[in-house]
Amino acid sequence: MDPVTLAIHATPAFVASAVEFVEATTIVLAVGVTRGWRAPLLGTLAATATLAVIIATLGVAIVTIVPEQLLKGVVGTLLLLFGLRWLRKAVLRFSGIVAIHDEELIYQRQLAELRAQGLPRTQFDWVGFLVAYKAVLLEGTEVAFIVIAFGAAGGIALSAAIVGAIAAGFVVVALGVALQKPLTMVPENTLKFGVGAMLCSFGVFWFAEALGMEWPGDALSIPLIVAAFLLASWLAVRMLRALLPEGARVESRNV
Amino acid sequence: MFSSVWSTLVGLLIEDGQLAIGALIALAITWAVASSGGDQGRDLSGWVLLVMVLALVVANLYRAGLNVRARVSSARR
Repeated sequence: MDPVTLAIHATPAFVASAVEFVEATTIVLAVGVTRGWRAPLLGTLAATATLAVIIATLGVAIVTIVPEQLLKGVVGTLLLLFGLRWLRKAVLRFSGIVAIHDEELIYQRQLAELRAQGLPRTQFDWVGFLVAYKAVLLEGTEVAFIVIAFGAAGGIALSAAIVGAIAAGFVVVALGVALQKPLTMVPENTLKFGVGAMLCSFGVFWFAEALGMEWPGDALSIPLIVAAFLLASWLAVRMLRALLPEGARVESRNV
Repeated sequence: MFSSVWSTLVGLLIEDGQLAIGALIALAITWAVASSGGDQGRDLSGWVLLVMVLALVVANLYRAGLNVRARVSSARR
């Protein structure tokens, strides 16, 4: 696999998966620090095993049974819808309308909730197990979706997306284990901004390919499309900042 | 996987309904351009989709900004 292809296909999966791994790691850390490590680690292992079964059955079935053009069309549509939502929220956050996602705040809230529930001394900690299991399974399914979406072309693209996601998992978990606190230094909001633009770009790219279009330079068009989305988003942030009075903040669902 | 896809689609339709509907309309127009425009239409379809989606994002956020400004103005009165 040449380095350009690897970078184009592995980087989006790496960045998008890292965001999901940060969220899962934050919750597992909160459970482990509050209630001990045995139950959350078992919950994490159980969720990983569940994910492996889902990916092995569903993922392989999707890639092998569904015709490539149809798969690209469906995946492109879903990516565009996912990406537009991420991008819109990211623009609203950067323009100051919606509060910035705060991993430290989420960690402290999780700690307080778990401490309030108390710690069983004698029996297995099912609360810790289930909280970790649910967090890893939910964020993990998003990682699985990201891998399938970015690897929709199959072959090299799928391998690169898997490599990107696994690398992101190793980096984030290693940082979490080393620091034993939420990964606040990961610029999650900025990453989400970039990931939103990448998801939209891959959505446009796959959907047009499904219709039979041949992009100039094939995958080399993707950075150009990403740049167009980033430019439009940056203009939207500037526009909203100019449009709104200082300190204006509204829940996203009311915007 | 289905639950996260489902929650995103529900979120899109409830929170960002106009954006989701706009995106689906843009996809439908792109499909129409590609299937009725011959080779030229097919080769232009991606760029048509890109321009429509970019315009949609900016227009949706502009509208969101106007809504927020109206809310803030009425709250301050």
